[in-house]
Amino acid sequence: MSVIGVGAKSQSMVQSLVDMRAQLDALQQQLSSGKKATTYAGMGVSRGLGVGLRSQLASLGSYDQTITMVGLRLNVAQTALTRVSAIGQTVKSAALDAGTLNADGKTVAQETARTSLDELLDLLNTKAGDRSIFGGRATDRPAVETADHILNGDGVRAGLSQLIDERRQADLGADGLGRLVIPPAAAGTVSIAEDAAGSPFGFKLASVSSTLSGATVTGPSGSPPSASVSLASNPTAGQTVSFVFNQPDGTTQSLTLTATNDSPPGPNQFTIGATPDDTAASLQDALKTGVGYSARTTLSAASAMEAADNFFNVDTTHPPLRVAGPPFASATALTAGTAADTVTWYTGEMADDPARSSASARIDDSIVVNYGVRANEDGIRNLVKNVALFATVSNDATDPESTARYTALATRTSAALAVPPGTQKVDDILSDLASAQGALGAATNRHQQTRSTVSGMLDTIENVSPEEVGVQILALQTRLQASLQTTALLYQTSLVNYL
Amino acid sequence: MGLSQALNASLSGLRATQAGLALVASNIANAETPGYTRKTLIQSSATTGLIGTGVRVEGVNREIDEYVQRQLRVENSGASYASTRAEFYQRLQSLLGTPGSDSALETVLSNFTSALQTLSTSPDSYSARTGVLSAAQALTQTLNSTSNGIQALRADAEAGLSDAANAANDAMQHIADINRQLGGMSPNDAAAAALKDQRDSYIDQLSQLMDIRVVDSGNNQVSVFTTSGVQLAGVTAARFSFQPLGTLTPNSLYDSDPSKSGVGTLMLATANGGGVDLIASNAIRSGRIAGLIEMRDQTLPQAQSQLDAIAAAMASSLSDKTTAGTAATSGAQSGFDVDLSGILPGNTFKVSYTDTLTNTQRSITFVRVDDPSALPLKDSGDPNNRVVGVNFSAGMTSVQNQVQAALGGYFAVSNPSGNTLRILDDGAGGSIDIGSVTATKTMTGLSAGSSELPFFVDGPDFYSGAITGQGSQAVGFAARVSVNSALLADPSKLVAYQAGTAAGDSARPDFLYQQLTSSSLRFAPSTGIGTAASPFQGTIGSFLSQVISSQGEAASAADRLSDGQNVVLNALQQRFNDGAGVKIDQEMANLLNLQNAYAANARVLSAVKEMFDLLSKI
Repeated sequence: MSVIGVGAKSQSMVQSLVDMRAQLDALQQQLSSGKKATTYAGMGVSRGLGVGLRSQLASLGSYDQTITMVGLRLNVAQTALTRVSAIGQTVKSAALDAGTLNADGKTVAQETARTSLDELLDLLNTKAGDRSIFGGRATDRPAVETADHILNGDGVRAGLSQLIDERRQADLGADGLGRLVIPPAAAGTVSIAEDAAGSPFGFKLASVSSTLSGATVTGPSGSPPSASVSLASNPTAGQTVSFVFNQPDGTTQSLTLTATNDSPPGPNQFTIGATPDDTAASLQDALKTGVGYSARTTLSAASAMEAADNFFNVDTTHPPLRVAGPPFASATALTAGTAADTVTWYTGEMADDPARSSASARIDDSIVVNYGVRANEDGIRNLVKNVALFATVSNDATDPESTARYTALATRTSAALAVPPGTQKVDDILSDLASAQGALGAATNRHQQTRSTVSGMLDTIENVSPEEVGVQILALQTRLQASLQTTALLYQTSLVNYL
Repeated sequence: MGLSQALNASLSGLRATQAGLALVASNIANAETPGYTRKTLIQSSATTGLIGTGVRVEGVNREIDEYVQRQLRVENSGASYASTRAEFYQRLQSLLGTPGSDSALETVLSNFTSALQTLSTSPDSYSARTGVLSAAQALTQTLNSTSNGIQALRADAEAGLSDAANAANDAMQHIADINRQLGGMSPNDAAAAALKDQRDSYIDQLSQLMDIRVVDSGNNQVSVFTTSGVQLAGVTAARFSFQPLGTLTPNSLYDSDPSKSGVGTLMLATANGGGVDLIASNAIRSGRIAGLIEMRDQTLPQAQSQLDAIAAAMASSLSDKTTAGTAATSGAQSGFDVDLSGILPGNTFKVSYTDTLTNTQRSITFVRVDDPSALPLKDSGDPNNRVVGVNFSAGMTSVQNQVQAALGGYFAVSNPSGNTLRILDDGAGGSIDIGSVTATKTMTGLSAGSSELPFFVDGPDFYSGAITGQGSQAVGFAARVSVNSALLADPSKLVAYQAGTAAGDSARPDFLYQQLTSSSLRFAPSTGIGTAASPFQGTIGSFLSQVISSQGEAASAADRLSDGQNVVLNALQQRFNDGAGVKIDQEMANLLNLQNAYAANARVLSAVKEMFDLLSKI
């Protein structure tokens, strides 16, 4: 406020002209900026709503960024896992073909599995941008070790091959009888016993049954379990005695020995001798030969399967397991491998919560998609385990038993790759990711609709219509011109001019 | 009776016309002079006996409508008050920035939450981490600079008060001086009229500064009072004194106790040497001074407290962790153990219980307050939710006794070990049942195993809302808030909430984002949003939108009020001018009249002269 001039009569007239000019400037600014005002005060009563809408737009923007980012990661993960699943199929069908061993002790299918393993591990180390996507929350390092380290170790730490070898020694025992003790027959009795109570290695006596006339079967019972077949009289030819063994990987192996009058007996046969004592001696001999053969073939394969399982089944509560030794042949327990002596194939995050929740993204105010994957999830682990196992076991091409050993392994591998119902498959992970992908798409559409509504509303709050402002400027201009002319006229019509 | 008489009469006519002419000339010359009122000549016919002997100039009259003048002064104060408020509100608006612009508080806040959202999607990304920190710094800098802007506005108001006090002193002094000069003059003296014009101009100046009452005490004298009745100027003038403070901080607030006041106060020195605090006695209710006081002591501190509330909510919601006590029993009594280790001043623990007699839910919140001068705390005003300050400086036994005293006899408070406090009820079927005991503590470590972290700190200290005799830590926090420097030094702590946290673990970013965008917080009614009975509860974003909304509304209301006042003032001014202003046409017409009168008088004079000539020739 200036000093009030009671005589300053022209002041109010000048003031109204100045006010009109200021109004014109304000309208001109509105027209050029398109905004109602440059302060919240000038925005009108909806200014609070405007703040809310702008923040909603900003959060929609960041949700969309998240959706783009997560969409990229999901695409990468899905592409990789689709290929992982396909590799499983390829190795599985290749394992079914009977192959011939090459000079290096491996079949063509195994060679393929070896390159497949490289590809598999490479896929599991896939990065989206700078982020490992198969390591759960540990996104800053590779999720799995290299194929070479996994199979062969890194010099200090043992790899799968070494663990298989140690386990084979432990399962077969020093005498190659699968940790069974078969003493010479005495007084017409053939006995068979496990070498130590509670040892996880070798054959386990499951049952003994006989159709031999005059034979008494006892056991398996006791600790360590033992069983015996006592011959009170000689059996007749064609009668059989069967031994069933449990193997480390959960499979069973049965050995049926048939009585024959031939001497020497054929495979899995024993000769009926002059006395039951002679027959028992032949039975003991046949049993020993049969157990030895099974140990070198199916037990070897089962041992390798179990060793691979011990090696690959790692999570928070399961360290890799290996045979307590050396000596391995007489070992009776497994021990936990440490980070210093055993390679851990999975180097990502290990946690007890569901793998999916190891990466989550908020894509709407109340929608969170979980899309984390860990390479040690059952589906992926099972696949990697079997491919690695199949790729690593080699057999001496000159050994006549090699084919049987290879077949036992290939059958097991192939069966394991055809995932039994009720356990997780790679495809299950893929379908989880696909449903996350679907949620992203739905959110994007919803955001687009919300955005257009919100922007429209914000437009009415903070923007001016150029037409309206244009008309206002025109009206104001007319008024200002008229006022200026009248003012000039008023000053001219003074008596002073007419004296 | 004679020719000489006619001669004298026409001479007096010439004199009167000349005086009139001088007045017309003066009116025209001062047509645009502020404070000048149109003067007219008071003249009367001089008579001797029954015969007129000429014209006598009695004096000069000021053409003035005193009723309009009085109203004008009232509106003058009002308009000046309104325009001061509008001016300050407008400047406050410009501090809040252009709506939606990059520097506006709402934008930097939503940038911060967007950055957290990005981090939550890519916790392992180094650029996402630094993005969060730089967005947080932009946010704290905006809060700091807006706070500083508000305090600068308060300092301007303080300086404005100082200037206003000086201007008022000047005006009052002049009024008193003119009153003394006018003492010996006749009311119609031409010089007196000019002095009165001057005096009115000073009174008008004073009325812009404050609301005044003017009393005409006769004999050319006026007295000026405040509307509350304190005399400001008569024959002597009162004096205002004001000691301004150069820089103001959010903590320098007005207090009627001069020893506690952090800002200057307006003192009126009375003749007997005493002083009256015009702010404490609320003596000034309008005019520029009232507007400045309102801005300095109410509007701007409230705007500051709104920013402080935002800063405090950001800091506390990210750093405070509430843990429930563990159940404890002793015989028939049951209750809870609550661990009070690590509780900072300002942190709380809360006992919720049911009064089984009336079946009422009650709670008592205990706040750690170590400054005895701040105790006891102000009553919360809600008997069912009491707030009690507890001094921890004398150890747990003392704490136990204080809590026991506050809770009363139905409770049994003990200290089983260390910093644990056990609070038990009076047994099943007793008068009370304890529902829960929770402790809320400010986390001070960056990777102590919980998602909470001291993201924002108060300079070198942690923010826990400590209350001391000097006030709450919340006051002015917006001016001091900064991003924890330990976090700036190690951005990985945005993700690593404990040793060995995986790089892609989004637990902490998720928590930070949730707290800022979804957690519902309670805001103190001192911010002007919400009331004590129903305080505002919402997210930080919704509170900010309320703040901006109410500030914008207040500013535009202040603007409208000011415009309205100006319209009224202009209309009154116009009316006043119609009566008191110089109208050139009127003066010109008067000039013609005077010319004619002069010519006529001169004609009479020459006729008398001719007649004297005739007589002398006889």
